[in-house]
Amino acid sequence: MPESCHTSPAAPVSPDARTLALVGHPNVGKSVLFHRLTGTYVNVSNYPGTTVEVARAAARFDRAASMLDTPGVLALPSRSEDERATMRALLNENLRLIVQVGDAKNLRRTLNLTALLTELGVPLVMALNMTDEARARGVTVDVEALAETLATPVVATVATGGEGVAALTEALPHAKAPAPMLRYDTETEQAIHTVTALIAERAPHPHLAARGLAILLLGRDKEVASWISAQAGGAEILAKVEEIAPLVGRESLPARLARERGRAAEALAKTVSQQSAGADRTLSLLVGQLAVHPIWGWPLLLLMLLVVYFFVGDFGAGTLVGLLEEDFFGEILNPAVTTFVQTHLGSGWLSELFVGEYGLWTMGMTYALALILPIVTTFFLAFGVLEDSGYFTRLSVIANRAFGAIGLNGRAVLPMVLGLGCVTMATLTTRILNTPRERLITTFLLALAIPCSAQLGVVFGVLGGISFGAAAIWGVCIVLILLVTGWLAGKLVKGQRVPLITELPPMRLPVLGNVLKKTSGRLKWYLVEVIPLFLLGTFIMFVLDRLGVLPWIIEAGKPVVTGWLGLPSEASAAFVMGFLRRDFGATGLFALGNQLSMIQAVVGMVTITLFVPCVASVMIIFKEQGWRTAVLMLAIIMPVAFFVGGVVNHVLHLFL
Amino acid sequence: MTPPPPPHLERIRLTGTPTGRSVRLAEFGEEIDPLQREQLLAYGLSGAQSITVLQQRPMTVVLCEHMELALERDVAQHIWVEAE
Repeated sequence: MPESCHTSPAAPVSPDARTLALVGHPNVGKSVLFHRLTGTYVNVSNYPGTTVEVARAAARFDRAASMLDTPGVLALPSRSEDERATMRALLNENLRLIVQVGDAKNLRRTLNLTALLTELGVPLVMALNMTDEARARGVTVDVEALAETLATPVVATVATGGEGVAALTEALPHAKAPAPMLRYDTETEQAIHTVTALIAERAPHPHLAARGLAILLLGRDKEVASWISAQAGGAEILAKVEEIAPLVGRESLPARLARERGRAAEALAKTVSQQSAGADRTLSLLVGQLAVHPIWGWPLLLLMLLVVYFFVGDFGAGTLVGLLEEDFFGEILNPAVTTFVQTHLGSGWLSELFVGEYGLWTMGMTYALALILPIVTTFFLAFGVLEDSGYFTRLSVIANRAFGAIGLNGRAVLPMVLGLGCVTMATLTTRILNTPRERLITTFLLALAIPCSAQLGVVFGVLGGISFGAAAIWGVCIVLILLVTGWLAGKLVKGQRVPLITELPPMRLPVLGNVLKKTSGRLKWYLVEVIPLFLLGTFIMFVLDRLGVLPWIIEAGKPVVTGWLGLPSEASAAFVMGFLRRDFGATGLFALGNQLSMIQAVVGMVTITLFVPCVASVMIIFKEQGWRTAVLMLAIIMPVAFFVGGVVNHVLHLFL
Repeated sequence: MTPPPPPHLERIRLTGTPTGRSVRLAEFGEEIDPLQREQLLAYGLSGAQSITVLQQRPMTVVLCEHMELALERDVAQHIWVEAE
């Protein structure tokens, strides 16, 4: 989400500082604990993949120590992009301590990861988190026995409530390199031993044990392989791994290693935990089941969409915008500012620059503060509630079949839904997808057809003001475009679709404090990022207007804008604004207000929704996919936007 | 004295398991991609783990310990389970 558009919002720390890393499965509370231990807020939500980049901040208990919040890992060796980011941090940071954040109610799974972390030779402390949820489900863990077996501190925590955080802080200085949790079978141990000896001799790591690296390397961890290959004796080690890996058993070596870790985790979990009978069915589970029910899941989705529509489109874009834009800005503030500016600057071009048709105040600031701010505020509130409820991941189950038609699986729902908040951050979130093919298709669809919060709010505001039907037509058009272009992209981009396997996090009642904190963080991001761009855009429009270029553009755009799209010629100016940000362009159309008929409003909103993504999104696409892909995407998106807009115009005229 | 052999249990596909039934994991079929097999192991589907089938449509959803896991049919039909 937006605040992560600039990750690592942390207090400055010295590069030589001692580094502590929070490592654990997705959605176990690492980011909440990070906030508790550093005072630095990073986005916290109830879905796996909230953190896709490493965040860093100085620890509260030791300002000389640097603390890392790493993306969740389903397992190590790393496979997905976010897991690789965590592995890179483990390899490249001056790591003195690992804090494994584990889920107390899923101890076996937690210990599966512990089995690998204990091999790295780095002091370890386990924060056994969510013990409240474990208790509610009748799970009790003998923390002392577990600590004794691992020979390292284990602290029960409830990070959201701050329970156990003080004890965890006190335990950190007592951490030591833990005892390995298991011995693999003889054949596998032999292979590990051979590679360990080679790494220790030819490419020793400054902090990580050679045995841990050997296990990761034999498990085909690409990041470890890349680190080893960069060392002087790396090529020989990699050649040896290639030589011995196929000789170990029938099963592939990575699977064999994973299976043995699983068995050890199961054995230890059985020893140190207990499950009371009959306590495992909770209200959360029942609500969660309803959300993915083959019949009831759909009405629930529809209900959720309607609530969001009325809250954002009706209340935000209607009532609040009316109060702010028409009543406050229109009748009180703007006349006062205009009088003030004209009194002091006269009525020349300088005065026009501030309070004219394309004035920095009357257009730039009014659009940003009176039109978009109330809309994004209501959207971010609704979005935060849904995010924390755990509903988004459940959408992936319902939408899996539809996404199958476009060559993706339901996991792609998450970046798409996050795109409704901020397309830029959602593009980063595509890292949670399993294959480059899925990332490419999802990035393209995000850039083409997913409106960000501000734009979505403006769309709701414009179309909701006309009729619910107009908004529904827009929605159907966008979904159709997503399906058709996704289907085409699925056919054109090489590779196979991967069937979906996904964890469904428990449904939780959102915590008001967290929702408000996220909303305020996002609004701060919005104000910092959007206002300068809106002002810049307004200034460009002012200059184009003064130089006589804008009337020329409006005239030149007439065949497309008035002919093909059937919009008033003034809409050309909105498309010029849309080059900077789509929501700026959409707001330009919003400002045309009563000049647009229902068909024109739908056509305008469909076209601007499909228009080029904002500058920040383009930069992230460059970073994630390379410049060739980014340029190709932009070259496709522009004509598609105008083509589809025109088709919608002509089709609607046939029926309405 | 050697212990008697364990009773033979019928193996069925996970997709053929009625909703609400608890079963034990028996085996992953060869048809499952090695990477996805690793994923399943990482989610804790290993050994003779007991899992409860919560629903079969639109996807198979199972409860494994206290984690709900959704599996697409292409994967779930190659997971073999046996009665508890």
